[in-house]
Amino acid sequence: MTLPDAIRLTQALLALALLQQSLEHLRGFRDERALFLARAVLCVLVLLGVASPWPLVAMAALSLLILHRFQGPYNGGSDRMGLLALWCLTLASLAPSTPFRELFFGYLGAQLVLSYFISGWVKVVNPEWRSGRALRDVFQFSAYPVAESLRALADRPRLLTVMSWAVMGFELVFPLAMLSKPTLIVALVVAGTFHLANACLFGLNRFFWTWLSVYPAILWLQGRLIH
Amino acid sequence: MPNPLQLLLPALIPSWNFFDVIAPSPRVEYAVTGGANVKPDAWREFRPRPAHVSSATMAARLLWNPRWNESLFLVSCAERLIDTPTAHSEDEIFKRIAADLARGPDKVEGWLAFRLVFVAREGEAIAREVLFEARPRALAEIDVQ
Repeated sequence: MTLPDAIRLTQALLALALLQQSLEHLRGFRDERALFLARAVLCVLVLLGVASPWPLVAMAALSLLILHRFQGPYNGGSDRMGLLALWCLTLASLAPSTPFRELFFGYLGAQLVLSYFISGWVKVVNPEWRSGRALRDVFQFSAYPVAESLRALADRPRLLTVMSWAVMGFELVFPLAMLSKPTLIVALVVAGTFHLANACLFGLNRFFWTWLSVYPAILWLQGRLIH
Repeated sequence: MPNPLQLLLPALIPSWNFFDVIAPSPRVEYAVTGGANVKPDAWREFRPRPAHVSSATMAARLLWNPRWNESLFLVSCAERLIDTPTAHSEDEIFKRIAADLARGPDKVEGWLAFRLVFVAREGEAIAREVLFEARPRALAEIDVQ
């Protein structure tokens, strides 16, 4: 995948992800509706490639107003990844030369690798994650399970220990998937399935779409680093 | 109140420490009373999760999940109220409870109060502790538009 193709594909996927989020906000309060209606329009312009790069620049500026409105990200990590992708794409589109475009877009791809590896590292150094206790806590009393029936999974400690190690193991070895294109594609399919499971069990639909939108950046980065 | 650039920085230089520690988890409970000085005695959990969610609903929520995402935002507001209390977090929780009540089938009048109950594991037992209780506000004075 060439750099312009990867950037364009990431822009389009991110625009779709942010459009989906924006539409959800249109049922909110008046001030939210105004902010997210503007963002929805800008997403469509980015998707159509109209007046590039100015709709992206406007979305980046608008993201500051949205951060101010909610005094931080509305939905934690997923919004942070969306902001990172938006600002990297904006800076790449404004960059005066190819090396700078590669730097900003490569940073996005590198952060995606780190998002998995660091998430695995902070878990594996915690004895409660290694024993499966932490994942039991997630199901037993955290705010995330979408239904009370899912809390029954907390009563299956052996299964949750296996799941904990599967998640930590995958996240920790994820950087090794960068060694070849086929291994990276397999890893991204596994990662996408993981995000899908989180969306179903914990209602984290924004993570699913936002992380998927950044996958072209890592696919491009892998080709740029290895070949 | 931090400026937007301060809020943006953690996104541009992320920590990615998702779920590193399973911290005590907040639940928002509310009560409606007849006056500002009436002590609430019937607290109700705000948006309790359903007993079951079907696979079809889970799939549909991939594309349309505003209510749950709003509930997750309220979890953030609740955590912020304990870590770094601001009027913003308190206002957001009041507004969203009041908006739900206004959308309900019955007209609700009076004074709205909410409290934050944090649920945590202590040994093998699950413990609940009230860490914050907001001063009641008149429902009529909360802007839900």
